[in-house]
Amino acid sequence: MRRLASHFAWLVWLTVCLSLLVLPAANAYIDPGSGSLIFQVVVGAAMALSLGVKVFWRRITGFFSRRSR
Amino acid sequence: MTDERVAGSFRDPAGFVFRRDAALYRQVNPRFAQHYDQLMTSGLYETLTGAGLLVRHEEVDVAPHAGDAHRVLRPEIIDFISYPYEWCPGQLRDAALATLRAQQLAFDHGMSLRDASAFNVQFVAGKPVLIDTLSLEILPQGEPWVAYRQFCQHFLAPLALASSVDVRLLRLLAVHLDGVPLDLAAALLPGRSRMQPGLAVHLHAHARSQRRHADDAGAEEQTKSGAKSGGRFSEQAFRGLIDSLTAAVRKQGWEPGQSAWRDYYAAKESYSDEAMAHKEELVAKFVGELQPRSVWDLGANTGRFSSLAARTAASVVALEMDPSAVEVSWRQAAAGETPTVLPLVMDFANPSPGLGWAHAERQSLSDRGPADVALALALIHHLAIANNVPLADVAAWFATLCQWLVLEWVPKDDPMVRRLLASRHDVFDGYSEQGLEDALADWFEVVRRERVNGSQRTLYLLRRR
Repeated sequence: MRRLASHFAWLVWLTVCLSLLVLPAANAYIDPGSGSLIFQVVVGAAMALSLGVKVFWRRITGFFSRRSR
Repeated sequence: MTDERVAGSFRDPAGFVFRRDAALYRQVNPRFAQHYDQLMTSGLYETLTGAGLLVRHEEVDVAPHAGDAHRVLRPEIIDFISYPYEWCPGQLRDAALATLRAQQLAFDHGMSLRDASAFNVQFVAGKPVLIDTLSLEILPQGEPWVAYRQFCQHFLAPLALASSVDVRLLRLLAVHLDGVPLDLAAALLPGRSRMQPGLAVHLHAHARSQRRHADDAGAEEQTKSGAKSGGRFSEQAFRGLIDSLTAAVRKQGWEPGQSAWRDYYAAKESYSDEAMAHKEELVAKFVGELQPRSVWDLGANTGRFSSLAARTAASVVALEMDPSAVEVSWRQAAAGETPTVLPLVMDFANPSPGLGWAHAERQSLSDRGPADVALALALIHHLAIANNVPLADVAAWFATLCQWLVLEWVPKDDPMVRRLLASRHDVFDGYSEQGLEDALADWFEVVRRERVNGSQRTLYLLRRR
């Protein structure tokens, strides 16, 4: 199960890398926080998906651990 | 009558902290009224203070310090303000997790932290507490977390550096008061840190994104058209982000060196040792007689005498140079064994200075005193011999820190001093008991002088002149 989780984390990471490649570039000064804001928007979907899968996975394992008790 | 704004509380237009006579107040400016009211009426204040995550306050009817005020608050007083560059990894990690937990709870109440500064966290009874009541704002719908960059710089980057490179890199927080810049952290971290998804995303890729958009006008358009107009950053994404940061922080473990644990257990077991037992008895007697509120244990190691002092004093700060010893001591405090002891990393040859704007945003160690009582046990030879500080200067410095001083004299023929002198010329002619008393005479009067049984050492109880 741990292995599966880490595979999934890798998938998220890969998605992030790929999505960074398609960001547009331009020129002019803005505050240095913008990179952080845009970054969150870019990785947001992956983060949401990651949490969704985590919660789903917990439910499954929770269901079986309840049954085995 | 004093009535002054606390230095370091000037950046935020939402409000500020001021001191009037002996009391500390926080003024909430009218422009922040809506956010503050939401905090108080949404149930979030009760939730956070109930969980021990936010400092409690009461609304008081006193005149504002300046301009109009929506409210004036009197927050609970924190005994000793410490700074992230004085923390061990365990403290920084606990502070990070408390910040994320508070953010999660805020989110459940339609609010969000607009700062994630490690300076907003203090330690009370072995637990991290957020002290900036005004850092909670109404959640801006559809926008990413405005404090994300700050969280990564203040918490995740230094924790990763301590965990994967060297614990001494936590000192970078004294140089970079707004947290370790992510490009610096990424450059210092080993390549294998990219194998950790949390660090790969929140530090490495994040740093790259910052670099990419540092002078990028398209970036502004993108946040405006996307995040700021709503919809782009979903609730699930926000929760996912906090969950992912929590997992990343949890992974940044750090274990203290074996020697610190050895010292800790040795301290617990060596009660049979005559000299140590007598020293403990004397220190307990001196501190017990004084009934101090605050005690600073200088050179506390794993906090053996700090916990002894904590039986009497309400607030004990255990200052120690070795992060491993501080970590061991912190774990005891956090586990509730010694909750009133606050261990901190401090090098007495170079104690925390005044830092930030006008040297006043972060106070120096002595500015945070004086303590009622300071303990300087088995410390004098480290200052006078290992660091070449003349006894007169040591005495003058002690005088800036405390009203009463419990000082242990360690003579030249003590095994620990002989070890220090083994690798160097003995140029310390003035290092004698008489020399010490002469040096102290300008600053302190000797109230008690007791020889520690079974040793060459002497314990002094001294009162500041």
